[in-house]
Amino acid sequence: MTKRKTLRLSQVGLRGVVGGGLTATHVLDFVSAFGTLIEPGRPVIIGRDPRASGRMLREGVLAGLLACGHSVLDLGVVPTPVIQHAIRRRDAAGGVSIGASHNAAEWNALKFFGPKGTYLSTAEAGELLDIYHLKKFAFVDWHGIGKLELVEHAVDRYLDDLAAVYDFDSLRRFRVVVDCCNGTSSVILRRMNERFGFEFILINESPEGVAFAHDPLITSRTIALQLAPLMKPLQADAGFLFDVDSDRVGIATELGEPLSEEIMLPLLTDYLLPRGPGKLVITNLSSTALVDELAARHGGKVIRVPVGRQATIDALSGYRHDQIALAGEGTGAVMMPQFEFVYDGIASMLAVLSMMHERNSSLSQILAGYPRYCILKAELPLTSARIPSLLMDLQKEYADGRATTLDGLRVDWPDRWFHVRVSQTEPIVRVICEQRGHPPFALFESLLEKVRSLP
Amino acid sequence: MRREHLLKIGVSGIRGVVGEFLTPALACSFGQAFGSYVGRGRVIVGRDTRATGEMLQHAVQCGLLAAGCEVIDVGVLPTPTIQMYVGATGAHGGIAVTASHNPPEYNALKLFNGHGLFFNHYERTELIDLYHQSDFYQAGNDEIRGIRCDYESPALLHIERVLRHVDAALIRKRRFRVALDGVNGAASVMTPRFLTETLGCRLDAISVDPTKPFPREAEPRPDTLGDLAALVTARGCEIGFAQDPDGDRLAVADENGRVLDNDDVLALAVDAALERLPGDVVVNLTTSSVIDDIAAAHGRKVFRTPVGEANVVEMMQAVNAVIGGEGSNGGIIFPAVHLCRDSFTGMAFLLERMAKTGATVSELAAGLPRYYRKLGKVAFEHGALGTLMQGLEDRFPDAEADRSDGLKLQWPGRWVHVRASNTEPLLRLAAEAREVSAMEDLYGTVTALLLNGQPADRAE
Repeated sequence: MTKRKTLRLSQVGLRGVVGGGLTATHVLDFVSAFGTLIEPGRPVIIGRDPRASGRMLREGVLAGLLACGHSVLDLGVVPTPVIQHAIRRRDAAGGVSIGASHNAAEWNALKFFGPKGTYLSTAEAGELLDIYHLKKFAFVDWHGIGKLELVEHAVDRYLDDLAAVYDFDSLRRFRVVVDCCNGTSSVILRRMNERFGFEFILINESPEGVAFAHDPLITSRTIALQLAPLMKPLQADAGFLFDVDSDRVGIATELGEPLSEEIMLPLLTDYLLPRGPGKLVITNLSSTALVDELAARHGGKVIRVPVGRQATIDALSGYRHDQIALAGEGTGAVMMPQFEFVYDGIASMLAVLSMMHERNSSLSQILAGYPRYCILKAELPLTSARIPSLLMDLQKEYADGRATTLDGLRVDWPDRWFHVRVSQTEPIVRVICEQRGHPPFALFESLLEKVRSLP
Repeated sequence: MRREHLLKIGVSGIRGVVGEFLTPALACSFGQAFGSYVGRGRVIVGRDTRATGEMLQHAVQCGLLAAGCEVIDVGVLPTPTIQMYVGATGAHGGIAVTASHNPPEYNALKLFNGHGLFFNHYERTELIDLYHQSDFYQAGNDEIRGIRCDYESPALLHIERVLRHVDAALIRKRRFRVALDGVNGAASVMTPRFLTETLGCRLDAISVDPTKPFPREAEPRPDTLGDLAALVTARGCEIGFAQDPDGDRLAVADENGRVLDNDDVLALAVDAALERLPGDVVVNLTTSSVIDDIAAAHGRKVFRTPVGEANVVEMMQAVNAVIGGEGSNGGIIFPAVHLCRDSFTGMAFLLERMAKTGATVSELAAGLPRYYRKLGKVAFEHGALGTLMQGLEDRFPDAEADRSDGLKLQWPGRWVHVRASNTEPLLRLAAEAREVSAMEDLYGTVTALLLNGQPADRAE
């Protein structure tokens, strides 16, 4: 019997159900560990998503950082990419994002960033956990306690940089509907309407603390809930769905078609790879093979790494940044060199609109130029300890394919692949199958049956 | 072995040197224990001007929110102002982040119940048990409430309460020239406005910048108030006031820059209160007999309690007293304003008295019955206390003995009080008499008796 997990301390940070697994004490200790890890002398940037529990977490984050002698610049309720942007702009020692992204409202999390707004390396994240477990924190005496400053114009400074990269004058003409899912994206989009004359039509616009309009995960199912049906009636050119902290984004076409969360990475590969600077696309083993095909069209190469943000970050650090065109996941999260490799849903959306403008094409016209890939995903409860032996059996059974064992088992054939792995965050087994042309039902069912029938 | 009190968690709450000892996690847990204890309602949180106050306030607020409380942040304010606001707003409780007169490296949490009163003994014990059991209410996302700020109305409420009990128009008419030493504390902003805008005084103020550290030892005593005394004489002020960092204690200098004995300040306030309202008086065992003389003149009773504000307040509630306090620490408690130490009431009473009588501060003090007092400390070995106390009691069979807090021996016109400190292995000794020679005799004899049988060099 597996108990539902309500707390997870990992290299990505601290995540849990508030009041259940995640308590104020965890917050204080974890942020005190972060305050101990980072260099003193420069400020730390913080911000949060609108979850009610974020108010509690913010107080704890402030106390821990101030006690370690760091001055804090608080941006309030803002998207995570704005926090990362402010870290670079203010030359801060690091930052903390308080928000549980695509998780349900009762969850919350702390994500930590280093100087320049980068994600912590595996080594740094490991050190953070070590300090947390040792509970030996570098608290300063009363002379050295930090000061709090509330920062008001972080969104405008972020938009200044977006405006320098994208041609806002051309993009304004698009009629765009956005489902903000009561998250932080509305903070940016409203300001773009006010300041730059965009006409984003926002639904689920008000940031909510307790109940989001729907599940904040980015999938074709959630896009179909409210966003996609509005496209035709509103004669919109494009529709976007953001998760609560605005680092992931999904798409509905002008015809009202809810696209798979997988599409953002191949779409931006097609758009960005010709622009460089590099020819590499970094993604994980579970994302669509459409990326490989589109990368090949532009002479690019796809580097596949294990699933999870940390593996992507570590892979990024193994190359010069001018070797890379973009990096991302099949979850709707993409990072680009123009934005210092930060997962940024707003920048991704603007890149898609730029692509439509430059190619003078509608979304469905662009997609019509892509081959059809059909991806099937399932998650099964992890009830067996025999997954490793299953993976060995599968490797033997499908010996005609090319096997990768970096993260579970992935087997590739020229027109299809599957990936079976145990989740790092939840007690589940993930099974993913994809095929060019039509859905690989038989392979998918056979894999599911094998997992289900494990003793 | 002498222990330094770097951290103390006990029935008086939590106090310690911030950083290594008093950590944000501790303050947060204490906040959550407090929130769990008072229940999921409104809790008022404020602080004094210590550098660590902002950090600890956020930690406490984290704990309160985690327990499902709504937080009202009143910012930097005197402790009595926070207490009154708690009582007036129907909040479930309040927390002041302040270490009162302790040095700047210390901070502490003062805890108030829904009436804005210090937690009584029963409440404190329950809370500390809850804290030790880590038996906290853990609010889920849908139960977590927010923080509202109210930086203005608590001060207005406090001043309005004080003005109900003094003749402000009379004070204003005199345009008193007043000196103030605010120790850059929590009352630094409120007191100058009170003295000038409300009471029409001409003010010479020092150390009224709440962003700066304490410029002197934080406890207002004659030996720490040299700057105030100099200011009074240099500017020709009629009176000088000094507060402690959280604005509950008051010290007073006369027009010559002489800092009054705190027992005499209390005596003047008691006289003012008894003239105005019916009711009895409560003071601690160490407070001067001058209080008894004044009460007797008004035909009132004096109740004595063990040392400690909470003890005085509890007795005041029990006997429905009109005024009370603890002479030695500059605390004046006037329940018609609020059942707490309040320097603002003290200032208003003294100014009104000067206005009514036309007398100078030194004349007012000289008008009090004259007693001579001496305070001291004697270190003692653990385990020797019983022998020492009994030896003392046996040595003076003619005295009336009170054992309610250490040992107080009393004769007509003189007394001596010996009690063990709660925080250090020290005996605190106070002697008082109408004549200086009798006082010195008594003080000397008792000190010698306490040292007798102990190793040498114990006196401090």
